[in-house]
Amino acid sequence: MNSSVMKRSMYLFVLPALIFYLLFWIFPILKIFQYSVSDYNGFVQKFNYIGMDNYISLFKEGVLVNSIKNTLIYTAVFVLFGNIFSLCLAFILNMNIAGKGVYRSVAYIPTLFSAIVVGFIWSYVYMPDSGLISSVLKAIGIDGSDFNPLGVGTTALYAIVFVEIWKNIGTNTIIFLAGLQTIPNELIEAGKIDGCSSWKLTRYVRIPLLAASITINVTLSVVNGLKAFDYPFIMTNGGPGTATNTLIFKIFKYAYNEQLFGKASALGVVAFTIIIIITGILVMNLRKKEVSL
Amino acid sequence: MKRILAVIIALALALSLLSGCGGSQKNEDSIATGGTNNQEDTQKPVEDVKPVTLTMLVSGNKSPDGKDIELDILPKMIKEKFSNINLEATKLPDEQYNTSIKTKLAAGEGPDIFLVWPKTGVCGAIDLSKAGYLMDISGYNIWNNFAKGAVEDMSYDGKVRAVAKGLDLLGIYYNKALFQKAGITEEPKDWTSFLGVCQKLKDAGITPIVTGDKDPWYLQFALYQIAANVVYPDDMDFDVKLQAGEESLTNPKWVKAIEMFNELYAKGYVVKNSLGIGSAQACSMFIDGKAAMIFDGTWDYNTLMAKGEAEFERGFMATPANESGKATYASASTAAGYAVNASTKNADAVKQVFEYWFDVNSSLFAAYRDASSSISVVKGVPLENELFKGVYDIYQNGKSVYFCNQMWPGAVATDMETKLQEMIGGQKTTPQDVTKAMDAKFKELWKN
Repeated sequence: MNSSVMKRSMYLFVLPALIFYLLFWIFPILKIFQYSVSDYNGFVQKFNYIGMDNYISLFKEGVLVNSIKNTLIYTAVFVLFGNIFSLCLAFILNMNIAGKGVYRSVAYIPTLFSAIVVGFIWSYVYMPDSGLISSVLKAIGIDGSDFNPLGVGTTALYAIVFVEIWKNIGTNTIIFLAGLQTIPNELIEAGKIDGCSSWKLTRYVRIPLLAASITINVTLSVVNGLKAFDYPFIMTNGGPGTATNTLIFKIFKYAYNEQLFGKASALGVVAFTIIIIITGILVMNLRKKEVSL
Repeated sequence: MKRILAVIIALALALSLLSGCGGSQKNEDSIATGGTNNQEDTQKPVEDVKPVTLTMLVSGNKSPDGKDIELDILPKMIKEKFSNINLEATKLPDEQYNTSIKTKLAAGEGPDIFLVWPKTGVCGAIDLSKAGYLMDISGYNIWNNFAKGAVEDMSYDGKVRAVAKGLDLLGIYYNKALFQKAGITEEPKDWTSFLGVCQKLKDAGITPIVTGDKDPWYLQFALYQIAANVVYPDDMDFDVKLQAGEESLTNPKWVKAIEMFNELYAKGYVVKNSLGIGSAQACSMFIDGKAAMIFDGTWDYNTLMAKGEAEFERGFMATPANESGKATYASASTAAGYAVNASTKNADAVKQVFEYWFDVNSSLFAAYRDASSSISVVKGVPLENELFKGVYDIYQNGKSVYFCNQMWPGAVATDMETKLQEMIGGQKTTPQDVTKAMDAKFKELWKN
């Protein structure tokens, strides 16, 4: 009797948090579904319901295909190269070299800056003609006059993913480094006694034991990649043309630059679905692997 | 040892909590007493006058010297004149402003005074009036002094909705020293001679034009000037017909305007790799003397007149996109203006402030006039920057067209910019494709 009263009264304590959660999190999400079938422009409260028109026009205009494609390329490149780079860096920083504390701090520095600062600095680095890279090219005698990574449709997306990788390398490296430090020395020594080369030690001992760190880093990178917004916004404004329009950037652009809240909501619903599916598949797969370990 | 440490930490925490409480109490007291004191002060001279706080949200960059007209001078001078009125002004960069003002209005948290742009478009006076956010301020005793055009551009349904800051011109800032170096003695008068000037500069090894095409909105500066000479001179009602569904943006005139725009890129007159250069970088290239011309407007006067690596005299002209023998049209438009929130609780105080602010004889108006970067639309105020005289004269003679996007829903210009970037980036987008995209967006969004 006493305990059931306890339990019931406990629900009351959950209530305040639950109300906030419903009001500021669940309700707005449901609202997005409502707006996605309307022509709401964000400030006139009178709007009409227009059925699936928003979704249809997203598809017809090619916005959907374009922004999904850009987001997926962004995510794939970011996950793959971001993790390979930081894994290599972690191995190097884990070696017994003089001044490794300094190197470790240096590798972490980019993470400390805000995205806006990094984006701004890198747009000057990439600037054609008088930017950092083209100046260096000029100084070493290479003609860099055609170097314009942000201004060319085919390279702009990769140029901004590179900045994202550069910015996040510190975080990924730290996680890998922490993983590396947990590998028991005995295992390495046992391997050495059995005659393992250092490559084999890495391939068959270190990397499998890093599985947990890899799971964390891959998941974080996938989530970050699918949410990509900062660098397209700061560095290219989604351009040139639509070359760097990612899902989230396009949602922002529709809602705030073009006053098309309805359409932005429709794209939001699509993005929501895609992210749920990808994350779902990823989590299930990684879980399986962790069990098998 | 641990115990002692724990006790010390606990004590320190308790003390800081206590002192925190004490501090805030004191603060509250002082605010409260401060408040009552103020009330007494203000109530002394005029009886039954309640203190009023007006909020104002504007866009732009804050003046670096701390003498910002909207943030510093206006609140101070209004306080001097009306001791009961406090003006709280906030300034946001343009993009943030556009986002935040609409959100605030939609949430019913709008400021008393805020900026709107003429006609339709993003934050346009007409759009916001239709949504019921702008108060009818036709009754204010200030309109006799204002130029008719500026008042009309801010009106909806025959009622005035905002006080225009002034007039903005688009044009080309050019480097007279580089012109001279290339042997150019006078401003070009038509499109052929303009292309000739560009060719001469190019032949002399000078970059003729620098643009900041990485910022999509920048692309409008050149195109609207060309359109002013190609689309509108024979058909000033083009956009009215467009809105009525009798015209289309795929009209050959628009295609021609975009072809002319593209010609500048195809012939190599615009700086190489312009899509990698932002507007700020473009401006600094101009003031450093690295290019002879830049498309820009009156609002960037201070930036473009600032001293860079090179010292040279500047000129300002309208883009002569006209055929030879015809007059050059300028792109000129009413600047943004101050509007009053329809649901303000302080309508009387706002009226008092506006009537003082825009009273030609008031000291506030004098200060405002001196600080303003736009050309004044108040009668009797002379042109401040001599540089703009040539283009201003064109405007005065009635040979001017407003900025094209003012008659379109906001997204038309955004789509146009995207397509223009694709076109100059060599992605096989033709001028026809650009106009098709513009027209499709217009038809999708235009509702009467």
